Amino acid sequence: MLWVGLHLPWLSLESFAATLPPAQAGQPLALIDAHHIVSANACAQALGVMPGLKRATALSLAPHLVLGQADELRDAQALTSVAHAALAFTPAVSLAPPDGVLLEVQASLRYFGGLQPLVQQLRATLAPLSHQVHCVSAPTAQGAALLSRLHDGLHCADRPALQKALDAAPVWLLAAGGEHREALQGMGLRTLGELRRLPRAGLARRFGVALLQELDCALGDRPDPREPVSLPPAFHSQLELFARADTTEQLLYGAQVLLARLVAWLSAQHAFVRRFTLQMKHEPRWRHSTESPAVTVLEVALAEPSRDAAHMLALLRERLGALQLPAPTLELGLQSDDISHRPPPNTELFPTPQSEHAGLTRLIERLQARLGREQVQRLEAVADHRPERATAVHPAEPLWLRAREAAAHRHEDVCSAAPKRALTRPLWLLPQALPLQERHSRPVLDGQVLHVLAGPERIESGWWDNSLAERDYFIAQTIEGALVWLYRARLPLSAERDGWYLHGRFA
Amino acid sequence: MDAMPTSLLPPASAPVRSARGPLASPETLHPSLWLAHQFGRSADNALPSGFGLLDAQLPGGGWPRRVLSELLLPHPGIGEIRLLAASLAAVQRSGRLVMMFDPPAAVSAPALQELGLDVAQLLVVQTHLQVRPGADRLWALEQALKSGHVGAVVAWLPQRLRSERLRRLQLAAHAHDGPAFVLREMAAQGHASAAPLRLALHPAGADQLALRLLKRRGPPLLTPLHLALPPVLSAVALRRAQAWSEGLAEAPQPLRAATFINLA
Repeated sequence: MLWVGLHLPWLSLESFAATLPPAQAGQPLALIDAHHIVSANACAQALGVMPGLKRATALSLAPHLVLGQADELRDAQALTSVAHAALAFTPAVSLAPPDGVLLEVQASLRYFGGLQPLVQQLRATLAPLSHQVHCVSAPTAQGAALLSRLHDGLHCADRPALQKALDAAPVWLLAAGGEHREALQGMGLRTLGELRRLPRAGLARRFGVALLQELDCALGDRPDPREPVSLPPAFHSQLELFARADTTEQLLYGAQVLLARLVAWLSAQHAFVRRFTLQMKHEPRWRHSTESPAVTVLEVALAEPSRDAAHMLALLRERLGALQLPAPTLELGLQSDDISHRPPPNTELFPTPQSEHAGLTRLIERLQARLGREQVQRLEAVADHRPERATAVHPAEPLWLRAREAAAHRHEDVCSAAPKRALTRPLWLLPQALPLQERHSRPVLDGQVLHVLAGPERIESGWWDNSLAERDYFIAQTIEGALVWLYRARLPLSAERDGWYLHGRFA
Repeated sequence: MDAMPTSLLPPASAPVRSARGPLASPETLHPSLWLAHQFGRSADNALPSGFGLLDAQLPGGGWPRRVLSELLLPHPGIGEIRLLAASLAAVQRSGRLVMMFDPPAAVSAPALQELGLDVAQLLVVQTHLQVRPGADRLWALEQALKSGHVGAVVAWLPQRLRSERLRRLQLAAHAHDGPAFVLREMAAQGHASAAPLRLALHPAGADQLALRLLKRRGPPLLTPLHLALPPVLSAVALRRAQAWSEGLAEAPQPLRAATFINLA
């Protein structure tokens, strides 16, 4: 058994800092519980704010101190995300509350190429969650948990090495040791090594069996079963913002944290998200309003399942930019249960059709997020003689992109087979045919007489769908040499006014 | 022409060269150096336009990649797509996508197919409708150029575009491995432009296009090029058009009724 112990020394502070607007992140921060400081960041500690101080004392030392309420639930959510991220490395991940995560990695070593590369990848995976992490490996779970509170990067390969490291550790490291800290100090016991050398019966009588049991677990003399973390089937995470968010940027800053957690949840099950919802709980209109505050729900559907936080953030940015929120946001929530399991994409050194396809999908997705889905169009030729109905416009979908690749090959044959013949249809079609003036029974465009060169081509179609077209089409030339497409409506059956119409231009 | 070649000369080495005497062929030093009577070269090979006459006058022998090519038109519908169709079809045959931004009118799919283009390999992006507030018209074009996954881009730019916006697009086009055509109004001719290739198109009779090269990486070309476009007119209609343009100076003949009933 080889356990990797992760310890997050600043978990509460970091999970609090994530709720702050970006401008306040560098300021002195502290968490209070029952009017006493429980934790303070380096910036605040430099000003003399120490854990244990009273709130008023701390504020007099540092007037700009940002005080937040310690929140166990918030910490637990942050810790769960760390555990989810760790699940990508081994299925045996367990929590060591309040601020530790344990991984049993013996079976994963070969896949990741040894402990060193595994730890390196683990740190890289945890980096987006923006926590400071201490990482220690040891043969026992309890040993790894204890030592990760003291060291970072320590590796105990076997039991003797673990025992040596533990012997040098202070007694308050044990949960029971912290309880009896003063008594142990009074007895002159500083390290676990000194404790271990004492008679066990006497120790058990004085301090209870818990102290010894903990020590035995750490040394591997006593079984230490751990409950593995199981992954919830649907993702749900919330973030209560410290300050109300008025701008998109502030919202995105909070959403970034949630997206990092979503990606951790996804990578734990090697899945990709297809759609997710961002919920924004707004400030109530009046402070003591009884009605429940307004909630805006933003649903983001991805064309191609993804777990790229940067891409999802870019999509959110586009969607939020187009959205007008009724009130400032107080709380963010991210939910997702629509995921797809598939092998991860290969990473390639040189661009390939696959990477180009993925890139195009993302491009189309971004354009559609910003411009609207209907603004990115694909065309389809329809077998209809009426020119205005011969082209169908559809919004581009990713499925079409895949079909496109298959069609590309067919197109090659069609193109080479198509004989060179004269063009018969103009590329630019006017949305509405433009009635033309007449001069000496000849059509006039922009004050210039048009010269009719070819025609007529009779198009008479559509009696079955109430848009009957009965027209004679001609190709005409303007005085400068451009070619236009004209028609004459055929009287008396047609509803259109008699005369010439401009319908298209040959481009 | 371009001021780039002189600025790229390393200043330290210049006196050394002059001490040894003038270099016989300085253009061999670096791919972005050329003499005033030569064509500029580029690391990417150009895409043949399908018109031999035009290819002979374009640096690299075709439409350049990774830069903007600016086409100035008096109005849409003078044969601009027939000019580009051969190169766009070549892009599509290599399995890459063609994107059109803000075409001036509805695009007809049958006409595209007649031009040899594949509608399945074409996307049309409408940015001028502004369905959502804050949508920038050139943003979409810039994203497409930057992504580098699009085979060819044909974009109709809004009128009275500031030159720095065009420069921004030109910078974005560095990532775009393929031709990028921007089509603008003829009034932009007098304004500076960051595009290294600029052409002014004029209709020159039926199925003919006159091209003036306003700017290229190479010596200036004073005479316009006349290109025969893929024909719309049959041989009979073409003769009729020629007769008309010749007889235009004289009194124009009224249209005969016989023209209408001639169904042949």
